[in-house]
Amino acid sequence: MSKFSVDLTNCDQEPIHIPGKIQSHGFLIAVDKNSSTISYISENTGDFLKQDAKSLLNSPLSTLNDLISQPDSALHIENLLKLGIIRKSFDAISPHPIEIEGNPFYLIISSSKNDWLLEFEPVTLQYDIQSSIGRSASSMLQGKNIESLLKGAAKEVKRLINYDRIMVYKFLEDGHGEVVAEEKEAGLEAFFGLHYPATDIPKQARQLYKLNLTRLIADVNITDSKVITFKEGEALDLTNGGLRAVSPIHIQYLKNMGVHSSFSISLISHGELWGLIACHNYSPKFIDYKAREGAKLIGQILSSALEYRQEEEDAKIIEQFKNTANILSDHLNRDKYLIEAITTHKRTILDATKASGVAIIFENELKTIGNVPSAEEISDLAFWLKTTSDESLYYTHRLSEIYSPAQKYKSVASGILSCVINKEMGEMIIWFKPEMITQVNWAGNPDKAVVPSENGLMSLSPRKSFEIWAEVVNNTSEKWMAEEIASVLRIREIIITDINKKANEIRSLNEKLQAAYEELDTFSYTVSHDLRTPLTSIKTYAELMSKNKSIDEGGKKMLSRILVGADKMNLLIKEILNLARVGRSEINFETVDIASLIRDITSEVWAAYKADHVTLVLGQLPNIKGDKTMITQVFTNLIGNAVKYSSNADKPKVEVAAYIEGGEIIYSVKDNGIGIDNRYYDRVFELFKRMDNVKDIEGSGVGLAIVKRIVEKHHGRVWFESKLNVGSTFFVAFKNR
Amino acid sequence: MRTPDIFYVEDDIDYAFFMQSAVQEVKDTLNLAIVEDGVEALKKLQHFAEHKTKPKLILLDLNLPGLSGLDLLKFIRDIPYLKTVPVILFSTSDNPDDVKASIEFGANAYLTKPDGYENLVKCVHSVHDFWFNQHLRLN
Repeated sequence: MSKFSVDLTNCDQEPIHIPGKIQSHGFLIAVDKNSSTISYISENTGDFLKQDAKSLLNSPLSTLNDLISQPDSALHIENLLKLGIIRKSFDAISPHPIEIEGNPFYLIISSSKNDWLLEFEPVTLQYDIQSSIGRSASSMLQGKNIESLLKGAAKEVKRLINYDRIMVYKFLEDGHGEVVAEEKEAGLEAFFGLHYPATDIPKQARQLYKLNLTRLIADVNITDSKVITFKEGEALDLTNGGLRAVSPIHIQYLKNMGVHSSFSISLISHGELWGLIACHNYSPKFIDYKAREGAKLIGQILSSALEYRQEEEDAKIIEQFKNTANILSDHLNRDKYLIEAITTHKRTILDATKASGVAIIFENELKTIGNVPSAEEISDLAFWLKTTSDESLYYTHRLSEIYSPAQKYKSVASGILSCVINKEMGEMIIWFKPEMITQVNWAGNPDKAVVPSENGLMSLSPRKSFEIWAEVVNNTSEKWMAEEIASVLRIREIIITDINKKANEIRSLNEKLQAAYEELDTFSYTVSHDLRTPLTSIKTYAELMSKNKSIDEGGKKMLSRILVGADKMNLLIKEILNLARVGRSEINFETVDIASLIRDITSEVWAAYKADHVTLVLGQLPNIKGDKTMITQVFTNLIGNAVKYSSNADKPKVEVAAYIEGGEIIYSVKDNGIGIDNRYYDRVFELFKRMDNVKDIEGSGVGLAIVKRIVEKHHGRVWFESKLNVGSTFFVAFKNR
Repeated sequence: MRTPDIFYVEDDIDYAFFMQSAVQEVKDTLNLAIVEDGVEALKKLQHFAEHKTKPKLILLDLNLPGLSGLDLLKFIRDIPYLKTVPVILFSTSDNPDDVKASIEFGANAYLTKPDGYENLVKCVHSVHDFWFNQHLRLN
């Protein structure tokens, strides 16, 4: 009847709903909807009834009344059909118990296109199964989560039909399936967690699973029985039939797995095939119609529970994401540092999605949690993301196909979800999902050699399946759910708000600091100004007194000490005033002729320190842009120090020179004096800090603080190199504008 | 009242005392009149104008209670009779802003108060030499 020759390459097109054959544990008679005569009949009908199948073709339906006996003999089979037609359903009629040759049978009626399908199968169940189904359903529903619900369903189905293995098989996004629950006889290898390729259940089979919710293959080795007809070229649609013969491909598939009987119950969620309860028996085993119906009922209950629980679990995931967001928000409020807040606590930024790794690039640092590519790979990826995407959010579950360097680390990062925190700074968070293939437990050992079977269907093995599937899911991670993306957006908002908040805090602190600084400048200016007046009085009175002839030598000595003290204090005040003035003044940028400036300063300094024995060496002295008064202060201090601290050296020498490097003019003032202990490097520029080795040399401890302040005001840099008793070189770098 | 050679406004009585000493040390015939605040100075200046007498030199401390040295300077420059009298601002401050302002308001010189008595004597010497001897010669 079927002219379709099927193999692995075209099993997708095999018209499995019109196989032209039935499984021979029962028999089939089809009645034309218009004429009520027998239009199709399975060849094996003669094995059950006392009449040859062929001879029954085209006979009226009532012929059957003589061949079967019913509990109520008054109820003719055509009346039964009529009743169903009137009710528009055979649900209440099927299964209708009859007897053939003294043996109990069920008559199951269903509809085909132009015909009614009358299927007859033996009754094997001796007791009423109804009550046990109710018990099964309620014990199954005790499962609080999907996992235990599925497990419970498998257990109850097993109790009902007593097959060797019951699996709940879930279809995943790309159509391949995973065993998510299993009940099996002890000693059988576990299939739980295994994945099967989409091709294992072709498209049209899935379609049938949606229309006909149970499917029994009672014995893979039994020879099918042909459905015969006088009609030309019109195959009987067996979609709704229970006896429908099985595709040879599927039979081979089951045989390859050593399965003799198979039974499946469709699980439908939101109108789609969610999965199957797939039952395998390793010996032929027929299931009574009522038990099948019971299993179907369990399947339906499970389906609706799944819908509900899935929603519940989705809601739970969303809740968990939201919860993570709240917790991170709390941490951000409490912790000082962002990275710390989102990575070091029990709940981390990783929990914002279902990713297995996350990388945070923030303030030029990289922090990772979980499975992530190497630091260098992440940095390259971040750069690529920064340059390719303008969006604040980017995600893919096939990264290596878009960005080829990711090939190297696709096992940990086939999926990425990145969100930008600050584009200019290249700050972002990237979540990683591994390549799916790496986390999948494939049904059958992929390395096992293919064993050719006698009919040549050698390619039909789990290994081949794996290769096909592997190609499909190669380079692919689990998809990013809408909930994950929403969660990331939520977290991003929280983080950005936090950053802004902290930035504002810093800004306001800065403003306060600025104000305090200004206040301090004003304060020191006023104080030192007000101090000078009484100090002048002290000094002047002391001078006047020492002119007084009535004061003796001892008194005069004391007066001279007063004068020294007053002078020292005066110097300090003057320096503080200078320092305060640097803080208060605006820079008046002009071109400063350094050569002539240095000339003036050196002659002044040499005179002040009576330093004729100190050699001065001048190098290149290029002009710079800056505030002339302040620049003068810088060089006066540096050169003054150089002279002061080297004048006791053997052949003292002070060198002033400059060089240009990297957009800066760098001046150096070098001496061969007493030098600075490097341990105190940081303290050299501090106010009033003087090193131990200069105690005997006069100084205020303000000069270098002034230098530093001026240079910083010019956005320049100042530093030094020094060695004790060898000399110091101070460097001042000005922007070469 | 004799017209003073030098009219000095100074609120710091110590410094006023030093100035008195220093001026006498430089030339004991020089007549120095000192007032302690701006208001009194104003009265005195008006008195000068009314009686057509003028000091040879006016020294103004910059920081005075009430009217400042600069205020007085402006006032002096607004009185035609006193307009030509040389005015020197005399202050502890060496703030360039103060110097600039003083010159802008028409001060003939700005002197930072010398540190110590000897320096003050030197300073008064120079001022005397320039504004009394040389100045007279110029006139």
